[in-house]
Amino acid sequence: MHALVQGVILGVLTGGVYALMASGQTLIFGIMKVVNLAQGAMVILGAYLAYQLFVSFGIDPFLAIPITTLIMFAVGVAVQLLFLRPLRREDRSELSLLVTFAVALLLEGFMSITWNTSYRSINTGYENASWTVFGYQITQVRLWAFLLSLAALGLLFLLLNRTRFGRAVRATVQNPDSARLLGVESDRVAALGFGLGAATAAAAGSVYGLLYPFNSGSHYDLISRLLSIVVLGGLGSVGGAVVAAVIVSTSSAIVASTVSPSWSEMTFFVILMLVLLVRPQGLFGTVGRGAL
Amino acid sequence: MSTILELDGVIAGYGAGDILKGVDLSVEAGTITCLIGPNGAGKSTVLKTVSGLLRPRKGTVTFDGHAIGRLSPKARLLLGIVHVPQERSLFPAMSVWDNLLMGGYLIKDSKVLRDRLDEAVASFPICRARAGEHAGSLSGGEQKQVELARTLVLDPRLILLDEPSIGLDPKSRQLVFESIRALSSSGRTILLVEQNARSGLAASDFAAVMESGRVQLTSTGASLLENPEVARLYLGAGTAGHATVLAPSTDSPGPSARTPGEEPR
Repeated sequence: MHALVQGVILGVLTGGVYALMASGQTLIFGIMKVVNLAQGAMVILGAYLAYQLFVSFGIDPFLAIPITTLIMFAVGVAVQLLFLRPLRREDRSELSLLVTFAVALLLEGFMSITWNTSYRSINTGYENASWTVFGYQITQVRLWAFLLSLAALGLLFLLLNRTRFGRAVRATVQNPDSARLLGVESDRVAALGFGLGAATAAAAGSVYGLLYPFNSGSHYDLISRLLSIVVLGGLGSVGGAVVAAVIVSTSSAIVASTVSPSWSEMTFFVILMLVLLVRPQGLFGTVGRGAL
Repeated sequence: MSTILELDGVIAGYGAGDILKGVDLSVEAGTITCLIGPNGAGKSTVLKTVSGLLRPRKGTVTFDGHAIGRLSPKARLLLGIVHVPQERSLFPAMSVWDNLLMGGYLIKDSKVLRDRLDEAVASFPICRARAGEHAGSLSGGEQKQVELARTLVLDPRLILLDEPSIGLDPKSRQLVFESIRALSSSGRTILLVEQNARSGLAASDFAAVMESGRVQLTSTGASLLENPEVARLYLGAGTAGHATVLAPSTDSPGPSARTPGEEPR
């Protein structure tokens, strides 16, 4: 029982971070119908940026988030303008999967050259601090990471639901032609939306760097998890991504703590397969277009 | 009456094919003009070339003296041209109110926006009654009302309506045509595409019959309703859909079809 509860605590806390990464991915898919294979690489780039700011200037990774999100927002907008917009113009959007994979490799190459391929971790000194509550261990950094992810998701929710830009984004996701007919410039929404997705990757990257050691190749493992979460939650559904992230990481953690860590990775994919057999559109996906 | 919209020799289409093969059409300000014709005649494509979803390959589109054929959809909206597409065009997972707000997406002045919203709600009270509900949860007829209300938020001069009665029950259809009449009586110009030719013609001041990418015949709505050839082709039960050439005739005022350069097959 103790192991089970400990697994749930760990899973929920980690799930928050994955939710943040996946929310950006599903947002990008919702707006542009682009499966962004570079999302994992963007998270890792965010982690490296946080690492560099910490090593060079002593800026705490949590405090670095406003800086890294701004940088990654610009990177996201640039990627959309340079690599994805030409596809939209040429009506060749189906190539976007290859193009985002190429962007992932490009970012990986850039990171390998800049920071070489040895594993890095951000050693703040508080990464191992923990509290014991009723006999259960809660790692401080995971709790902060979880709270930060909640705050970032809350901001994303407000942005999408309470602002003119957010309304335009949701409208574009639900009915792009209709949005265009009302004066929404879909190119602009796509560029800013991609930037927003990259910004969430940066916020999650800071936290990822605190929790796990990483190198430039870490994005492969990450993107397979993110894709599973996004598909499980329903492509294009931010709420679905959050729920799926928590389900997936909690069940993995429970299996790791009660059965064996070697089975935990597989749990991820077993759940995905089972859900897709019953609901091919994912937990919160719609058969037609997504809805934010 | 003055002409507000004029298409002159418009050729447009997708990919390698042309759907419009030289459309000539003029629409008088403040009237309701209905386009009828078989499936594939290019009726919806005419609306798309006017709203900017599709750019003409050749020919000119003139709105209130401006050549608008090269303008973006946004620029045309700002001139006062609003297009309500055939398929349900609301944002289903957004509230009715958010849908209305999207209608005023281009309005930066919050006071103007508020006034326009009030006006739209006054004309279509359902928008207030169901403001907080997801648009997708409304019935087809109710959604159409919200679509028309959303159109009003931009205070348009020309409203393009693509099959506004499609999929509606008779009562909702009647309500939609009454709303269209009301929009017109407030001085707005309406260009309408209608598969249900009888309802469309009955509600319209003028009408144009399209076939194979060209306007073949124009007249008043009432006289087309009485035209035996039109009745046989488009008002009978399920006889529409095959191509029979109608002799061009411009025996009445209103939208005029110039004689096409070549006879259609």
